Amino acid sequence: MGMVQSPLTLVMNIKSPEDFAQLNGLLQKVQGAPPDKNPIWVALTKLRTVHFARFVFLGNNTQLAVITTYDGSFEKYINDFIDEIGDVFNMLLMHMSDAPPLPVQKNRDAFLAYVKKNDLRCIEPFYSAYPEAPVVTILDALDQK
Amino acid sequence: MVPLGDVQGLILRSYGMDAATFFLLRVEKPAEARRSLGALPVTSGTLWDQKPPFCVNAALTFDGLKALGVASPSLETFPEEFVAGAIGRCAEVGDTGPCSTANWQYGLGEAGYLHAIVLLFAQTDAIRDAQVAVLRSCLLGDGGWAEIAALPGDVLPGEKAHFGYCDGFSQPTIDCGLQNPVPDKQPVAPTGEFLLGYPSQFDQLTYPVPSPDGLGRNGSFMVLRILEQDCAAFDHLIREAQTSHGIDGELLAAKMVGRWRNGVPLTVSPTTDSPQPPLSLAELNQYDYAPTAENPAAMNDRRGFLCPIGSHMRRANPRGAAIAGNSGSRHRIVRRGVPYGPPYDPAKPEDGIERGLLGLFIGVSIKDQYEFLMSEWINGDTFAPGIYGTTDPILGNSPTENKFVVPQENGAPIVISPFPRLVTTRGSAYTFLPSLTGLRYLADLK
Repeated sequence: MGMVQSPLTLVMNIKSPEDFAQLNGLLQKVQGAPPDKNPIWVALTKLRTVHFARFVFLGNNTQLAVITTYDGSFEKYINDFIDEIGDVFNMLLMHMSDAPPLPVQKNRDAFLAYVKKNDLRCIEPFYSAYPEAPVVTILDALDQK
Repeated sequence: MVPLGDVQGLILRSYGMDAATFFLLRVEKPAEARRSLGALPVTSGTLWDQKPPFCVNAALTFDGLKALGVASPSLETFPEEFVAGAIGRCAEVGDTGPCSTANWQYGLGEAGYLHAIVLLFAQTDAIRDAQVAVLRSCLLGDGGWAEIAALPGDVLPGEKAHFGYCDGFSQPTIDCGLQNPVPDKQPVAPTGEFLLGYPSQFDQLTYPVPSPDGLGRNGSFMVLRILEQDCAAFDHLIREAQTSHGIDGELLAAKMVGRWRNGVPLTVSPTTDSPQPPLSLAELNQYDYAPTAENPAAMNDRRGFLCPIGSHMRRANPRGAAIAGNSGSRHRIVRRGVPYGPPYDPAKPEDGIERGLLGLFIGVSIKDQYEFLMSEWINGDTFAPGIYGTTDPILGNSPTENKFVVPQENGAPIVISPFPRLVTTRGSAYTFLPSLTGLRYLADLK
């Protein structure tokens, strides 16, 4: 049995300091909302494929990183991922210098190619304390619906 | 509005006919093959006043389109999985090991061999036999096509498939103007989930229509699968269930599929196949595994105590259950098909006769529907809890020995390990079902 989890280290290049300011304001507002009003939180909760997710500004605020641990094949679940969280990426990508055509809902292959191109993954191996447990199994074990 | 008269009827409705013959064909003379393809009496999706005596549909493989003379710029607009075909994608759907292409029949394991499938469905054997002769004359008469095989299929006595289950209750309700005779409580499938040229089940996505528009629009894709069923192994498993595994044989049969063999769903009737009052036909499909917007009263069977999470129909259509991707209603397929081979006689378990299912699986994207379903749900073990290390008890092709888990509310689950292989792939093909306009386009090619 192999590892069911994978790392995503998506590093996106911000267009300009003005775009950073807008992005920062947007993320502060979104992430400052209570979980049930936070579209990122709501989407990831529905998806049940993402263990952890965080946003980090890098390179003196010239890059935004989305760092997650997710289950299965990103490619196979791309349509479900976009349907749940596509609008969040539309908001983020409009501030990126190398963004794919938007909205991502209408440009799914281009979005997938962009993520693949900008995903630094990790220096192998990727460690997991529970390599055989997907999110659905952990939630079930914790008795969460 | 969906132009029902331009869509191949098989996509939108189950014909409910008892006899079938599937012709597997190769192009021999392109001009003659195009002409006879254009002369086929193809059945559309037009509303019926009464059911016709027979129906005919036609599907082409990628190599078939090429052999008929479709030009490269057009061929390049078809999706990559259709171009690769069932052979190229066999690992994706678990057609490996005993199910691998080396063991496929009728040359289906040979790349480029199959060009077309003509499907005949008839109300009776006699009508089927007569129409087989008519179709042979049409297709083979002038040497346009060569017949690789003509595969007969027959609904078994009692409207059952091999293994003794009534089947075919659950089909998506497509937004096309036709009624679903056994409606479910899942969201209505948008037209573009099953026909090219309309908004799909995914947000703002319309799948690209292969070019030219006249060839691609109102078409769909269909996967043929020849699935051999090991009735002796199934019979042995059920007969020995109580002794070997401590579970009643009929209950195990129900737990494996998710329905009792007469079609009554476990989720509605977990302890008997004969609930009182009896369920109507419509009620056989009105259940879910968790409360949803469409079915808020559904019981939350998230542990699978009623219907095991790893059962066949809960894998093939997880409905509103909590699964990875939140996508229980976004990867659906239309299922058609008919059993082949005579009914199994338990008194002659080793009769040497092959029997199984000629299965047809239809959707606008083979990759996002059929292949997703096969790889993530049927053969996958991480989309839902409690199924790690297992595959579908009926259709699964485990790389190692399979096991089947029957969760118990009061105690440890029953784990049957090793769980026998019951179905083996004996052939598969990825095909395109053009609209009637599309078939005329092919017939008129120069």
